[in-house]
Amino acid sequence: MTARTLHSAPSAPSAASAPSAASPASPDARPSARPRQIRWLLRLHRPALYAWAALVLVLAAGLLWLGGPLTDAAAQGWRQFSACGMAEACAYDQPAILRYRDFYLYATIAVLAVPFLVAAWAGTMLTGRELETGTAGLAWTQSVTPARWLAARLLVPAALVTAGTGLLAGLHHYVWSAGRGRIDTAKSWYDSSTFFANGPVPVALALTGLAVGALAGLLWRRSLPALITSVAATGGVFVALHWALPYLWPTVHRVSSLKLDTPAGVGLSAHSGVVTSSGEQLPQPWCGSSVSPQCRAVYEKLDAVGYFRDYHPFSHHWPLQLTATAVVLALGALLTLAAFRVLRARTGAVRGMKTAA
Amino acid sequence: MTTTAIEASALGKRFARRGNWALRDCSFRLPAGRVCALVGVNGAGKSTLLALAAGLIAPTEGGITVLGGHPADARPDLGYVAQDKPMYPQLTVAETLRMGADLNPGRWDRDTAERIVSGGALDRDARIRSLSGGQRTRVALALALAKRPRLLLLDEPMADLDPLARRELMGLLMATVAEQGTTILMSSHVIAELEDSCDHLLVIGDGRVRLAGDMEELLAAHRLLDGPAQDGTSGAGPELGQDTVVVSHTTTGRQCTALVRDAGAAPPDGWRAAEPSLEEVIVAYLRNPEVPGLALDTVFAAPKEATA
Repeated sequence: MTARTLHSAPSAPSAASAPSAASPASPDARPSARPRQIRWLLRLHRPALYAWAALVLVLAAGLLWLGGPLTDAAAQGWRQFSACGMAEACAYDQPAILRYRDFYLYATIAVLAVPFLVAAWAGTMLTGRELETGTAGLAWTQSVTPARWLAARLLVPAALVTAGTGLLAGLHHYVWSAGRGRIDTAKSWYDSSTFFANGPVPVALALTGLAVGALAGLLWRRSLPALITSVAATGGVFVALHWALPYLWPTVHRVSSLKLDTPAGVGLSAHSGVVTSSGEQLPQPWCGSSVSPQCRAVYEKLDAVGYFRDYHPFSHHWPLQLTATAVVLALGALLTLAAFRVLRARTGAVRGMKTAA
Repeated sequence: MTTTAIEASALGKRFARRGNWALRDCSFRLPAGRVCALVGVNGAGKSTLLALAAGLIAPTEGGITVLGGHPADARPDLGYVAQDKPMYPQLTVAETLRMGADLNPGRWDRDTAERIVSGGALDRDARIRSLSGGQRTRVALALALAKRPRLLLLDEPMADLDPLARRELMGLLMATVAEQGTTILMSSHVIAELEDSCDHLLVIGDGRVRLAGDMEELLAAHRLLDGPAQDGTSGAGPELGQDTVVVSHTTTGRQCTALVRDAGAAPPDGWRAAEPSLEEVIVAYLRNPEVPGLALDTVFAAPKEATA
């Protein structure tokens, strides 16, 4: 029993009797230095880092091209078209207009896809796979507490996602502004896909996608179900936000004449209908202008005296963007908190954070 | 400095809410400085126990104290090598070791890491995913040992090695820990290998402790008796004494062999006593789950400390 003789004094503090002088690194140097894990986080996810950089650069270049030359060409085409008036033969640059329309659609889809990409990556590569293969346990037993492990895995990607998505969303807004008023077929500010690609909202959605992915990875501990869950959950957030958007800021109430075909008020609509002589608001009978006798009869039967519309005019663009961003970020914060809770419950690391500090 | 490396009391872990218990009612104490073998059949809860001690999972019930505190607080002081030696496959050997140094600032012992890795014909620029089982084990042990742990938790560390590499790495492991005075809890299937390197034993079966204590004391507490078989009866009969716990017995023809717990009393007439081998004792306890387990280590203080 060789080991028995080596460990013959188990009750004595054996480290003291061991020839520790043989090793140059002094074990007494209890460091206050924190583990340097960010460098290794970037190294481990180098392919994703390069892919993200390439994606952002390519999309940014595309958006600049779209907002500059393509928009100018399309605007020129529209000017030619308008100059034709009612002339029978009209020469205008139709391909430029169509090209602008197509590329604007692609650009919007690309920006809207970013939160899904981030969620898919976070669910699989960030947490799910590390728990699946056990490398998370390796990190936790290499002096990185689970809380710090997760914190680094959320903060570093969050910074990169914010920078990249912020740039793309800003450029998308530039593209949209460049076409506004110059191109007749340009999307309105309240067009759903344009709105969600046009400000800080996509950044907040991407950050929430990151939190969703990290949480799904922690819950499933396997990459494939985490991938599906995080993409589906991000889609759910999108749908919920689309549905809730008109109610995130007080609307403008506008009453208009029944002689119009539809209620007046251009913008993001929350409610519309008809208002009676007693001031009651009724749902839209969807008839049309009261100029036609049939519709006049319908309105008289309802005692309707005018249309009403509760809506958001263009001046509400930024309040709506900022409120939606705040709501999505709050959701992301809750998901992040949940991720830390799940990790703590799993590892029982009640005092893990304190030790590392 | 604590003299107890691990203390578990009524420790239990169940992975699904209605699932089976991977570990149940597990109580033992591992003194510091010991090299303890953790033995049990597949699925007995060995990996669960090691993960609980490493603070990677939380117990469902009961408590475990590692190096005098919560396992999460002990993590900087412990080394852990999981059964499948998880490492980042895309890193090279050199990068993996540099990462170990970066993740353990101030306590990383480069010489130890280099010594363990340089033994195998390892290309430093080879990626972890391209390594053989033995080379992988070498790198995983280097990561665990170079942080100079006070407690080393090894889950089947030598399982995927050929006998030669097994012997070599075991020797390297023992030499390193002897120098640092590290406590080891190591699970294995190969009892012969444990007999040479371990001085403490923890046997679990069906998630419960079957044997725990100093290896020699456990061996000394048992006798292998050889005697005439009794007609018709179960073999080892009343002549072995009322106070003797018969762990197992086998009857071959007219010969009966029984493993009994025995403090050293003279064997009854017609019986011959012999020292059992470690394997005989372990197998007897694992085969006969109805025999009460034997713990020679449970000098529990108040349970207040252990219930976290």
